[in-house]
Amino acid sequence: MTPPLYIALRFLTHRKRALLLSLSGVVFGVAIFICTQAQTQGFSRYFIESNIGSNGALVVRSRFRPRYEPLMVAAKNSKGSTGRRLYFEGITNPNEIMRVSRQFPDVISCSPVLRGNVSARAGFENATVELYGIDPALHAQTTDILRQFIDGNFDDFRNNTSAIIIGSRLAELLQTSVGDTVQLLAPNGEYWRFNVAAIARAGIGSIDSIRIYSHAKVAQALLQQPSGASMIIYKLRDRNRAPELASRFETLFQHSALSWQEREESTLQLFLTLRMSVAITVSLIILLAGFGIFNVLTMSVLAKIKEIAILRSMGYRRRDISAIFLWQGALIAAAGSMVGCLLGALMTWGVSHIPIHLRGLLYTNYFLVTWDWHHYAFATLLALLAVFIASYVPSRRAAELPPVVTIRGSR
Amino acid sequence: MSAQVSLSCERIERYLGEEEERVHALRGVSLEIETGSVHAVVGPSGCGKSSLLYILGLLDTPDAGRVAIETEGVSHLSDDELAHKRNKFIGFIFQFHFLMEDFTAQENVMIPMRKLGRLPDAQMRDRAAELLDGVGLGDKLRRLSRHLSGGEQQRVAIARALANDPRVILADEPTGNLDTANSERAFELLQNLVHERGKALLLATHNPAIAEACDWIHEMKDGRIIASHSRGTQSSIS
Repeated sequence: MTPPLYIALRFLTHRKRALLLSLSGVVFGVAIFICTQAQTQGFSRYFIESNIGSNGALVVRSRFRPRYEPLMVAAKNSKGSTGRRLYFEGITNPNEIMRVSRQFPDVISCSPVLRGNVSARAGFENATVELYGIDPALHAQTTDILRQFIDGNFDDFRNNTSAIIIGSRLAELLQTSVGDTVQLLAPNGEYWRFNVAAIARAGIGSIDSIRIYSHAKVAQALLQQPSGASMIIYKLRDRNRAPELASRFETLFQHSALSWQEREESTLQLFLTLRMSVAITVSLIILLAGFGIFNVLTMSVLAKIKEIAILRSMGYRRRDISAIFLWQGALIAAAGSMVGCLLGALMTWGVSHIPIHLRGLLYTNYFLVTWDWHHYAFATLLALLAVFIASYVPSRRAAELPPVVTIRGSR
Repeated sequence: MSAQVSLSCERIERYLGEEEERVHALRGVSLEIETGSVHAVVGPSGCGKSSLLYILGLLDTPDAGRVAIETEGVSHLSDDELAHKRNKFIGFIFQFHFLMEDFTAQENVMIPMRKLGRLPDAQMRDRAAELLDGVGLGDKLRRLSRHLSGGEQQRVAIARALANDPRVILADEPTGNLDTANSERAFELLQNLVHERGKALLLATHNPAIAEACDWIHEMKDGRIIASHSRGTQSSIS
């Protein structure tokens, strides 16, 4: 143990009240930071997981007419490209696109979907629904649908072409359950009867309240669509690479491709804004803790002027004196961060057990939290930085104190 | 003076304060302290005794003149190098003992040793215990310094000044805060150390009895050494 660390430890432990005051600032700052980040990111991550689990990380949709802008010469004073793509609804050759897509190492699986809006009727209840015509096996590979079932089973759906899977909130709205009949209205005005094989809960209100899954061939016939798929959804190994892959797919397939980040941009920005707002608020708490430590260490320098002079007279260098006060800050930051991380984890665990009844954007019965080591690392880093800044000025001040002045003044 | 010189200064000038409050504290002071001798600086308050001690102890720098440890001048040394010299060659004893309150007697004595880093922890402890035993505090090693009496604290300060086995001990009125019995005891202790271990001691004192017991007495007035004489001899103008 270096002499400055040894002395710093002793200075700290002999001023218990000041130590507790400094420590508590760091501990609560770090703990609150971790807990709030766990909550805000918990909701955000749940939304992302559920969304990707239902809609895929990447979606290839309408074909567009290729434009040859690089070959064109822009008119004088023109502000770049003003033309728009011309889109054609549906996927022209889904099987070929899927075959080529599977060659990409980032693609785990993909599944074609024929999507259309229809009216549903069950008993006396009516609703406009989003019909997803799917290939059961491929869809099960690509999405989390198997994990979303709250009633019924997938085999009953797979083995019966007149079976459907219905979103949980839609099932409540139509007052149907597994085994009931739901009628879907075809464009020609004819009602088609389907048997509810399962009820699925994605956890996102906008999906659970309008979605019905049927077999793709049946949906194609009901919707009277010439194309077998209006989109292809993808499951990726690394979902963060979705934007890059979307760009490549657009160029390759001449179909619009949308990553989950682009698709859910507005909701994600809302979560991000909320998270940043909370992070800024909590960072201020940590900064306040830093100010507390600044005050404590400044008072400590004033209280230890005599000791500083003694140490200097015994041969301690300016940087040793500075190190004594920096070490005090570092010890407070280290101990405070460690305890703060433990308290943060405990608070996060406690918050995750608080019951709430959310049935809007998300479906949850408890506070959603996420366990991410980055929160702990960032909170610790923030605390270390705040404490370092807070202890730097007093440490410099201590180092600059001329010992002779103190010794003369003590006579 | 034919013996080896441990510490010396030549024509030291020192001004203290700023502008109108500026005081010429030391005016061309020269002094040599030989190994194995005890020197006393006497004079009225404000005559420059302490200023001289701080400059000789490398705690303060003169405005002019030269300070040397043995024969090596120190004017060109950096602040870090001066600190190292203080740690290794000089032991300080102050009037108000200046112990570290949060540390035990033994730990106080170990603080200069820790800085020097020459001994492992166990040996530092043993040496501190031995030094404290030498000043009669062998049974109070683990007592916090603030729980010791004034006399005991001064003895701890003496032990601490000897921690790194320095060549020179500088004492600024070391007995000024002690009663007669403790003053005599502390001085005797220092005197024995100097003679037995070959140290050099320079002390500033107001106590005539102690000054008379020193090998050399230097009388100061208005920042000058006006007379120096060895024990038992008449004053001579410096």
